[in-house]
Amino acid sequence: MAEVKLKLKKKPKFPLEADSITPDNFAGKTLAEIKKLPLYHARELVTIGDFFDVSGKAEDVANTKIIIDGDVSNVKRIGEKMTGGEIIINSDVGMHVGNTMSGGKILVKGSADDWAGAMLQGGELEIEGNAGHYVGSAYRGFWQGMKNGTIRVQGKVGNESMLWAKSSKPANKWPTLYCGGASSFLGLHNHGGTMVVDGDVDRCIGADQVRGIIVVKGKISRMLPSFKKLDEVNEITLPNGEIITGKFAQYSGDHSVSKETDGRLYVAIK
Amino acid sequence: MTQKKITTHYDVLCPFCGTLCDDLEVDIADNEIIEMRNSCQIGTKKFFSSNPSGHRYLKPQIKEKGTFRDATWDEALDKAADILIKAKRPLLYGFSSTECEAQGVGAELAEYLRAILDNTASVCHGPSLLAIQDVGAPLSTLGEYKNRADLVIFWGSNPVHAHPRHLSRYSDYVRGYFRKDGRNDRYIVVVDPRNTHTAQIADLYIKVNPNEDYELLNAIRAVLRGVELDAKEVSGVPMEDIKKLVDILKKCHFGVIFFGMGLTQTISHHRNIDSAICLVRELNDHTKFLLTPMRGHYNVAGANQVFTWNTGYAYSIDFSREYARYNPGEFSSVDLLMNDEVDATLIVASDPASNFPAGAVRNMFKHPIIAIEPHHTPTSVYADVILPPAFAGIECEGTAYRMDKVPLRLRKVKDAPVDCLPDKEILERLLEKVKAKEGK
Repeated sequence: MAEVKLKLKKKPKFPLEADSITPDNFAGKTLAEIKKLPLYHARELVTIGDFFDVSGKAEDVANTKIIIDGDVSNVKRIGEKMTGGEIIINSDVGMHVGNTMSGGKILVKGSADDWAGAMLQGGELEIEGNAGHYVGSAYRGFWQGMKNGTIRVQGKVGNESMLWAKSSKPANKWPTLYCGGASSFLGLHNHGGTMVVDGDVDRCIGADQVRGIIVVKGKISRMLPSFKKLDEVNEITLPNGEIITGKFAQYSGDHSVSKETDGRLYVAIK
Repeated sequence: MTQKKITTHYDVLCPFCGTLCDDLEVDIADNEIIEMRNSCQIGTKKFFSSNPSGHRYLKPQIKEKGTFRDATWDEALDKAADILIKAKRPLLYGFSSTECEAQGVGAELAEYLRAILDNTASVCHGPSLLAIQDVGAPLSTLGEYKNRADLVIFWGSNPVHAHPRHLSRYSDYVRGYFRKDGRNDRYIVVVDPRNTHTAQIADLYIKVNPNEDYELLNAIRAVLRGVELDAKEVSGVPMEDIKKLVDILKKCHFGVIFFGMGLTQTISHHRNIDSAICLVRELNDHTKFLLTPMRGHYNVAGANQVFTWNTGYAYSIDFSREYARYNPGEFSSVDLLMNDEVDATLIVASDPASNFPAGAVRNMFKHPIIAIEPHHTPTSVYADVILPPAFAGIECEGTAYRMDKVPLRLRKVKDAPVDCLPDKEILERLLEKVKAKEGK
């Protein structure tokens, strides 16, 4: 796999919008061409070459790997709409990383700001630190958010993650989030998304869930009243075939959406 | 002693709160307001504040070495234009207490400058707009409620103090076409953590725990769907009371929820509204039900309308990429200022220094500020340039949208001080100046 290395030369004063940093945009280009790709710094149009040292070589989309060094915590939209290839970010990263991506892989070795993997259509996003609010969520006004792919966050995700997630059985698309913990409103308006939380979650989990599975291996700070306990189970099969074992209380909900519902919430019994 | 000649203006609109009362009577003598009738205390106060006083700016001001000096309009606009042109990420904020024509020019200026354009909805009813985008909204004009509603719910709002004449004009005491006996024909419910003065005149007061409105709405919706819940109590409200409330909701002929910042600015923000809207939607399976946000500033609804028809979005708009983008949380004033992403601010008819979080204000004060502001405020005293306006709706005409999005014409009842110009004219001159400086 061909590697393109980007190293931040100077810290941007304003957030840098870097939706041009994707394997799709780099594929087939020489280093000189890559350096000329546009970035937005506040209201100035600048280039990748203005802010990054660029080295290495790009090939076709699937065989291009972008490695980003330096503190890019104020760089937004890296990997936006990418369809293949790989991006490795060796620091914290700004908002919207990997939003609307449909293929390929992004690895963030630090924490990510809000909207990480928003409206993901496919591919894999892995974050080793924490993630901000709206991980894998729908953008404002959209009724269908993350439709496929996987997001793994080792730390905690912020509020309203996986908002309006939507699965499709005929197309075999199962949007899935694994995370170490979550703030409030995880899986809000869920329409088939799968969420597995290793640790604790805050209030209002699964609010307005129509269908989908949420598994919490830790505690919930305050359950919504509209979830009803069904029974206890020892094994949960996720739509992607994965099996989780352990003792869980099974709840149905959110019953504020309808009297009968396919939405399920599993909470570990300790 | 000579008698002053008094002129009385009838049916004047009140440019204070979103109720936008249109039946005021104002007496003027020697171009000063001397008496008001029909207006509430806060509205009266605003009219009187337009009279000459030591608090009012009468000439444009420029700050030099820490003190203000009088300047000509040309000088002040020149300096303001320089600040805006030099800035890389200017913010244009406020707009909710001025008229629509000025808001339109503000949007044009923001687009030209590739700036961020925001109005006070960002810190009040912005969450309502977010929720409406997610789940729609069954709204109506206030006249419908006046004539038809027999169940009125105030959730997280306290109109006795915030919209004093709302109760007597639209929602409580007033006689409507189908509610001939006024107050006796209406059942009033107040949901609030505090036993407010509105709660004290209600037929039913439901005391909800602070920041737990979402859970209560959620339980009401589930009970409405016929689900027997496990909980005995939700958000401090016993299940029996919730069932009783659901019964009242279902049995009314025409219900309305008026909600205020008790819902939009408590912990679940737009999700409270999301759930309230879903509740109203579901209630329409049983009866007729609607809801309306209790908008604060008299023309904040107009700011949302004007920005929407100009840019496609109601607030938190970013033009940095030469087209309008919208994302509260990313392009909203408080978030931008907290992250210190703004390097110049133009404030139109607003006082963010009194209302924004301290961290945001501190960052705002680090950079140049231009204030279009008639009075001394905590924001204006820290400004670099002050452009004194005429009061829209008192000293100049314009259009304003009532909280139910009905546009009404503001009246002029007196002349502005000689050097005070309407907001629209100030913004137009500023735009011209900016264009001239950039050679266009």
